[in-house]
Amino acid sequence: MSSLRNAISRRAHKERAQPSSRKKFGLLEKHKDYVVRAKAFHKKEETLRASLFKLKEKAAFRNPDEFYFQMIKTRTVDGVHKPESQANKYTQEELMLMKTQDIGYILQKLQSERKKIEKLTAVLHSVDNHPSNRHIYYAEDREEARELQSQASESRVTPPSGDIPDHIKRKTAASYRELEARNSRVNQLEKLYMEMSLKKELQKKGRKRKLREDELVCPTSKPVYKWRSERKR
Amino acid sequence: MKGGSKVIVEPHRHEGVFVAKGKEDALVTKNMVPGEAVYNEKRIAVQNEDGTKVEYRVWNPFRSKLAAAILGGVDNIWIKPGAKVLYLGAASGTTVSHVSDVVGPNGVVYAVEFSHRSGRDLVNMAKKRTNVIPIIEDARHPAKYRMLVGMVDVIFSDVAQPDQARILALNASYFLKAGGHFVISIKANCIDSTVPAEAVFQSEVKKLQQEQFKPFEQVTLEPFERDHACVVGGYRMPKKQKAAA
Repeated sequence: MSSLRNAISRRAHKERAQPSSRKKFGLLEKHKDYVVRAKAFHKKEETLRASLFKLKEKAAFRNPDEFYFQMIKTRTVDGVHKPESQANKYTQEELMLMKTQDIGYILQKLQSERKKIEKLTAVLHSVDNHPSNRHIYYAEDREEARELQSQASESRVTPPSGDIPDHIKRKTAASYRELEARNSRVNQLEKLYMEMSLKKELQKKGRKRKLREDELVCPTSKPVYKWRSERKR
Repeated sequence: MKGGSKVIVEPHRHEGVFVAKGKEDALVTKNMVPGEAVYNEKRIAVQNEDGTKVEYRVWNPFRSKLAAAILGGVDNIWIKPGAKVLYLGAASGTTVSHVSDVVGPNGVVYAVEFSHRSGRDLVNMAKKRTNVIPIIEDARHPAKYRMLVGMVDVIFSDVAQPDQARILALNASYFLKAGGHFVISIKANCIDSTVPAEAVFQSEVKKLQQEQFKPFEQVTLEPFERDHACVVGGYRMPKKQKAAA
């Protein structure tokens, strides 16, 4: 029976969309989505009511002689509970140690990245590119010089090897892309490392001051500090 | 094989040197001792059409000035299969191993190194390569090793000493055939660090010209080394050949 019913093509079921007049309410919610949402809402409501009841119970059975140190360490301001300040949680030495560890991590990543770049540059020589160096020819007289000049313009152009399959070209390009990405990563890490170590140095003891704009020998965008020379034992 | 091979190796402009294309884009030489790396360099195995395997070694231009010069576009290195080469300043033998690959079983590389420490690595490398003859001697006194070295076609000098032109001339007078060639790498800082690099190169070339050398060309080894140059030329070149060329 059902197979016969399937033989006749039915009109495709179309979902109702949000009417244009109610567009401001967003997408039209479907019933099954509503069911999920409503159930979740009622579940939360129930737990809230239960916990509220528990709190009320707790308040009712409160022991007026109870004492916690938290009661004198913290206070409420305009009815809002202010937790204890976290500012002096760590000592100066501890903070310094944490900073050192952070810098150590950055340095480790930087070094591992440098190693990877070294490995990549060992096998990526950009053979087809024009060398960026200086090439000098020596001639004994003017005639030879002229000859060399005409030869040089031809010979320096290395013929690009033509018959390289596409999949190999893609691989080479991918390697060069990787190298470029790693290079930029090393630059970023280096910058970060410098910044962090400067901050650490500034937190150490020793008298120092920031140099004014007109005192800089070679102007940079970054601040420059100068330490008072201190006699060491 | 489906998808084709992963690496393609083509011959370079210089005989005995190859270029590998694939995940790497590198200068390579055919490994004389398959299965062994000298300084932990990458090796690339390629299968020929007839099923035989050939192994190549990547030639790192950051560790070898000769490779840097080749990538710098030098016209001729004169080191080719079958050539006899005297290599001054061989160090641990990283470049020497590649030169030995280039000259092949019919060529010879005499590798001179003064330091015993790096000479040890050189000797170990030479144990596996029959065409390398290690000589642990001062290159300033070629008379000490004149019994070991025959006439050579090319002298490669990488000694980084202030008197390196004199050292090269001394060795050339003993071992380099007339019409032979030299390749010298010059590190500007090692000769005079107070003057600009270009001036140092010029003065070195002048010195070479006074010693019967005829420099042909000079390349700086830029992205790979700073303030280095490689000078290539001939020794006691016949006058007639020059007019013809």
